[in-house]
Order: sequence, then C-alpha cells, then structure tokens
Amino acid sequence: MLDPNAPTRLPTDAEPANVPSRESDLREVAARRWIAEHGDVLWKFALARTRSRDIAEDIVQETVLAAMQGFGSFKGGSSERTWLLGIAAHKISDHFRRLRRVQAPAGGDTSTEAACQCATCRGMFSEKGTWACIAGKWPEMNLSEAERQEQAQILRACIDALPPGQGEAVWLRDILRIPAGEVCKAMGLTDTNLWSRMHRARVALRSCLEAKFGSRKEKGQ
Amino acid sequence: MIRFVQDILRVAGLPCREHVALLSRQLDTPLSRGEAAGLRLHTLYCGGCRRFTEHLRHLQSLGQTMAEQAENEPGLPADVRARLNDRVGQNTKKN
Repeated sequence: MLDPNAPTRLPTDAEPANVPSRESDLREVAARRWIAEHGDVLWKFALARTRSRDIAEDIVQETVLAAMQGFGSFKGGSSERTWLLGIAAHKISDHFRRLRRVQAPAGGDTSTEAACQCATCRGMFSEKGTWACIAGKWPEMNLSEAERQEQAQILRACIDALPPGQGEAVWLRDILRIPAGEVCKAMGLTDTNLWSRMHRARVALRSCLEAKFGSRKEKGQ
Repeated sequence: MIRFVQDILRVAGLPCREHVALLSRQLDTPLSRGEAAGLRLHTLYCGGCRRFTEHLRHLQSLGQTMAEQAENEPGLPADVRARLNDRVGQNTKKN
C-alpha cells in the first residue's frame, strides 16, 4: 500500500485549476462510493474506539480525505474496506497519542499505567519462564445471553484501556475478523510486528478480564 | 518427518512464556505441523497453558459477541453522511 498522505497530482497547464480534472472527478466519485459502502463500518469502528460522535465524525472525515489524497495508490492485497479501516486505525491511534500528550505532558503516562495494572506479563511467569501462578477458571460455560452481553461490555472497557495501536489491531483482527495478512498491509505492519502486538494485547485483555471475573491461585496451592 | 520431530522437540522444550506467545500466534498464522503438535503435547500436561488456551478461546468468543453487537448498532447517521458528502465535494473544488 502506498502512503495515503502522498501529495496529489497538481493540475497541468492543459488542466486549469478551476476546472475539476478527470482524476479529481473520479476521486470524488470514489469517495462518495466509500461513504455509501463503507461509511457504516468506518463509523462503528471510530465510534466504538473513541466513544464520541464528534471525534468519530472527524476520524471518518479524515479517513475519507486521506484516502482521496492517496486515490490510485490502492493496489489490492487487501479489500478496499480493509484499506480504509487501516487508514482509520492510524487516525484513531493518532487521536489517542495526542490525547496522551495532553493528559500526561510531564511524562506521567497514565494510559500505560492504567493498561499495565491489569496487563503486564510481569508476575505471570517466574524468571525461568514457567507460570508463577495459575489463573482461575472463568465463568464461561453455559452463559446466558445477558451474561454474555455483560462480559462483552467488560471486554470493551478492557480494550479501551489498551495502548494506542493495540486496541485498533484487536478490533480489526479479533472483532471484525479481518485476515492477519490484510491487517498487516492495512496497518503497515510486518507479520512479526502484528503477532507481537496481538500477543501483548491478548495477554493484557486476558489479565484485565481475569481481574474482573477470575480467581487466581498461587502455583502449588 | 525430521523437521516435524525437530519442531515438536523444539517447542516442547520451550518455557511456558514462549508457549503462550505461540498460542496467540496460532490465532494469526498457521504453525508448522510439528510446532502445533509440540504445543498440544505441552498443553496436555501444563495446567497454566491449558487455562491460558481456555481464556484465549473465551476472548475470541466474546470478540464474536462484540462483532454481533456492533452489527446491530446504528450505522453512519444521516446528518454525518450528508456533511461528509459535502466535505468531499468541497475538497474536489479546492483541488
């Protein structure tokens, strides 16, 4: 995938600036089609991550405009929808990074602390890499529909606490179930980057859920 | 065959910390037959990794529930859709 922020082609002499070029017409048609066909999924993704209609609107708008800028750069390898979701994922991560800078200007990275309280690998393993403690069984069997919905809400809150970049990857991989190869292309990650990001995120989510409804016992007890 | 056995032995000899990483990676990419077999073998006798596998499975299933919830949520509101289309038109004029 080429950079969607790459500068657009400037009008030539034969193509006066006040007359829309054929390319810009095509770009507009494509953008309107993206809004029609993928607007819902982009909106749900942005709203689920930011939980703000205003911010979600900004993100969807920035996504469409950035995709227009990069019009012609989409070469396949992933679906058009995944390409757009990848741009949106970058916009959402940027939003959270900006928010962190504003909220923790003196280096007090509160978001990381919040995520780490329930999420570190520290404490899970001994120095040799064996389990330090065995996590308890979760109430996962025979859940009623209401309990399942409630647990999904808890998971949603846990995803909110993940660092920028991880929450977006989890949405694309484990919720929207986009194939890993497509997510890599859309988010500009190597396979190894994605595996490691997903692993950290899943361990964090598992610890977060464990804190909410698990019971852990020290090994040997 | 040699590779298969080598992979089983290599994976079986890894500490649980590495098994956990492989259990997660397995969700994103297929492991070799030997790696997958080594992982299953380890999980048979390791309670911690077995529990982690259950938890991963549960996480995946909750992810599915979240996807269903998202499916039922309202899509792009009409006013936002209209503003987006306006903005696209302005962007074309500007360029």
